[in-house]
Amino acid sequence: MSEKKRILVADDSETIRALMQTALEGAGYEVVLAEDGLSAYELGSNGDYDLVIIDQLMPGLLGLDVVSRWHEEGMKTPVLMLTGVDDDRTAVESFDRGVVDYVRKPFRIPELMARIRMQI
Amino acid sequence: MSLDLFNQVAVLVIFSINAVMLTVLVMLKVVHRHRRLDHDRRRTAYLGVLSRHLSMDDYNEPITETMAEDPAFLDALLDMRNALTGDDASTLGRIVNHHGIIQRQMRYLDSSWLLGRRLQAAVALAELGDEMSAETLMRHLDDPEPEIRIQCGRGLGRIRWTPAIDQIVSRFGTEIPWVSTRFSDTLVGYGAKATWPLLAYIRINHPYETQGVTLALRTLAQINDDQAVGPLLEILEESSDVEVRIATVYALGELGSPEALAALDALLDDDEWALRAKSASALGGLGDPAAISRLLHSMRDSNWWVRRSAAAAIAGLPGGIEALYTALDDEDPFAADAAAEALVDAGELVSARRRAEQEDALAEPLLAHMRSGWS
Amino acid sequence: MSWVGYATVAYFIAMQAYLLFLALVSAAALRRNHHLRRYGRVGEMLSSRTTPPVSIIIAAYNEEAGIVDAVRSMSIVRYPRFEIVVVNDGSNDGTLGALIETFQLEQVRIPYRPDLESAPVRAIYRGRSGVDITVIDKENGGRADALNAGINAARYPYVFCTDADVVLDPDCLVHSMQRVVEDRARTVGVGGNVRPLNGSRVQLGHIIEASVPKRLVPRMQILEYIRNFLASRPGWSWMNAVPIVSGAFGIWKRSVIVEVGGLTEGHMGEDMDLTMRIHRHLLDRGVPYRIVYEPAAVIWTEVPDNLRVLRRQRIRWHRGLMRVVSDFRGMTFNPRYRQMGMIAWPGFVLFEYLAPMIEFVGWFVVPTAWLLGALDTTALIWLLLIALGMGLLNSLIALVLDESFGFFNSPADTSRLIAVAVIENFGLRQMTVLWRIRAMLGGKGTRSWGNMERRGVTNLAGQQ
Repeated sequence: MSEKKRILVADDSETIRALMQTALEGAGYEVVLAEDGLSAYELGSNGDYDLVIIDQLMPGLLGLDVVSRWHEEGMKTPVLMLTGVDDDRTAVESFDRGVVDYVRKPFRIPELMARIRMQI
Repeated sequence: MSLDLFNQVAVLVIFSINAVMLTVLVMLKVVHRHRRLDHDRRRTAYLGVLSRHLSMDDYNEPITETMAEDPAFLDALLDMRNALTGDDASTLGRIVNHHGIIQRQMRYLDSSWLLGRRLQAAVALAELGDEMSAETLMRHLDDPEPEIRIQCGRGLGRIRWTPAIDQIVSRFGTEIPWVSTRFSDTLVGYGAKATWPLLAYIRINHPYETQGVTLALRTLAQINDDQAVGPLLEILEESSDVEVRIATVYALGELGSPEALAALDALLDDDEWALRAKSASALGGLGDPAAISRLLHSMRDSNWWVRRSAAAAIAGLPGGIEALYTALDDEDPFAADAAAEALVDAGELVSARRRAEQEDALAEPLLAHMRSGWS
Repeated sequence: MSWVGYATVAYFIAMQAYLLFLALVSAAALRRNHHLRRYGRVGEMLSSRTTPPVSIIIAAYNEEAGIVDAVRSMSIVRYPRFEIVVVNDGSNDGTLGALIETFQLEQVRIPYRPDLESAPVRAIYRGRSGVDITVIDKENGGRADALNAGINAARYPYVFCTDADVVLDPDCLVHSMQRVVEDRARTVGVGGNVRPLNGSRVQLGHIIEASVPKRLVPRMQILEYIRNFLASRPGWSWMNAVPIVSGAFGIWKRSVIVEVGGLTEGHMGEDMDLTMRIHRHLLDRGVPYRIVYEPAAVIWTEVPDNLRVLRRQRIRWHRGLMRVVSDFRGMTFNPRYRQMGMIAWPGFVLFEYLAPMIEFVGWFVVPTAWLLGALDTTALIWLLLIALGMGLLNSLIALVLDESFGFFNSPADTSRLIAVAVIENFGLRQMTVLWRIRAMLGGKGTRSWGNMERRGVTNLAGQQ
């Protein structure tokens, strides 16, 4: 009897959150949502997740900042980063800090699901 | 009229208007808030419905007529469209087609009185429309509202409606600048299909007008179709307008074809500083290290912008960084400074410091120059 | 009722007409703006290659505590290409050190071209860590002087001058630069909407929720700012006669600032001074131009929390205003300056600058006349009611116009604003009038790089 895998999704766009929740729950994952960097950080630090999906650009704490803090604290959960238009500069930095893969927005749901399955 | 009566009337009038305003304010707040909350609630629900349609193969919760007519549904649809691409986006397209949404938006665009509704319709057609809406979109390229014209251009570009290309290009010279800039972005989306119409436009119009022609040239630069190089070189020779020539040089630089080398090289000595600077940058875009020696010479130009462009161009060429390091010793202090600035911008300073820590000899000249004070 | 009474009433009527006219024009402009904001512009600007780059320039003096957070919050503004230029105006605390350490800055020797005069620059630093930041370390010279140095070092054709302790709305650059892109050739300046952040929740450099504070002093200012920024500026903008682009939110074409010689140090209304100088400069040369105001581009700033600080601020602002009115008096009713000279500037001088004096008559002379028996009670009451009613009307109109932005929604917020619209007429307004009269009478000025008072920024262009 396997437990459901837990995924934390952090994005300031309601649309993305709705999409992710539906798609991931439909695929059998348990989903927790966060609306901004600070709550993402708090939830991620205190909770037990199998995967974190986080948006690069959010009000308050940037996705990258959150990931950096987690990295400093030694969090081991793999992180998938959602990125917008032109963020190659941060790509290199983020890989050093625990981000395992990137998904560019706009994305395709099957592609997103495939990348998630690769991690967990 | 006695003052007293005047006062009384004045006070009455003023306070009545105040009462009206207060009522309006409170009503707006209440009604607005209610409507907005309601709109948001419905939108959230629709996001859920659409998400389920997209992620579950066999999902067939019906989308009702009421839903399809709801502006909140359209909002949800547009937002979802922006977040997705590929097959998911076309699934959304199927939903759209199924429910007469396009037709409804075309009607609104044509005949609604409300600017907000027409604008939403234009955006919806731009994002979701297909060939069915092409004719409506073409018609509204002349809409009185600039934002709607922009959206129509966008829509035509997205469905790759070829007859629109000529229509859009022909408006370059007459449209207001920001609309024509957006039209330019649309044409870039068409890619190589737009090359010849643009070239034709430039050919015909360059002796008479500048604004549209320079925009067309910049559009060609972004489309990046090599076929344009030959005709561009001809235009460079034919035209005597500085702005047109600058834009042509820019385009040649972006296209990066070695055919242009000779022409650009000749322009490094032109009387116009803007043309010299642009040619220097363009030579950088050509990627040919043979240009380095000429560009080093341009770093001694009397005009600061030219020097800077030349140095930046060199930095991007193979072997350019080394050339700039040697230029640090140039007897012309302005050239040396231009070299230093280009090296700093290329990130050399940071790596120089790092290499100095590892005692790498190459780093020294830049650090020494930085420490030596202003020229 | 003597002729003084009649004249006062006539003035008030004229002023009311002027304000109503501005409010109507503003309403039309805001309505159109509201629709355009909703659909699609932001995304296109963000992804277009032709969107012009902007240099954000801030002057910092002894901001050790907040400068890093300020720069960080500015760095996540949504805009494709921009740089941040911080000018350290000879701080004697750890401001510079904090910046160098956090952003891994390297000192660079690049040619610094002093297009504008400023106090000597000691060093220039550049960073490479994700944020495109340049720090200018210079000797102390004041805010205007520091901004001039920052403008010198700015690399991009447009400069956004603001302060270190403001909270930017993430889309403020997109909305304001949209106005530039609309008409690249003519647009030389864009002003934005400044809103007091007192009472709102701020977290990590962002407004989480805007709300109206309980304290009357900041509350009154929220109303004032709404009146000024929503019921006047859009109207002036439509006429292309904006007399003041606020120093907390001013986007300018760099070349134009250089042409007029930059900001004036020591001027208590340096932002208004710059705006008027640019108007005059371009009108003198017959260059087609426009300076516009974008209400959707929002920036939040802290306003004085108590009367003491407020008083100093208003006295300083009024002194700045006096100097500007004096410097540009030649533009009044001068046809050479078109709608600025013939309509907006005279209207401004008459109804905003002179207003305190007339209001002084209204609020003080008239009751005094009554006390002395020169005026009968009923007349007094009617007059006071008229003044109260008109003040209230202006406030309510402004609040209605503010509706489309949806910042204040809870019943508590709305009732607090309506309450202060009434209450302010019973003491607060009169006090501001007295302070301005005080400013006119001269005396010791307060000018320093202190906490709230350091800015020579005249956020509000007058008092309605």
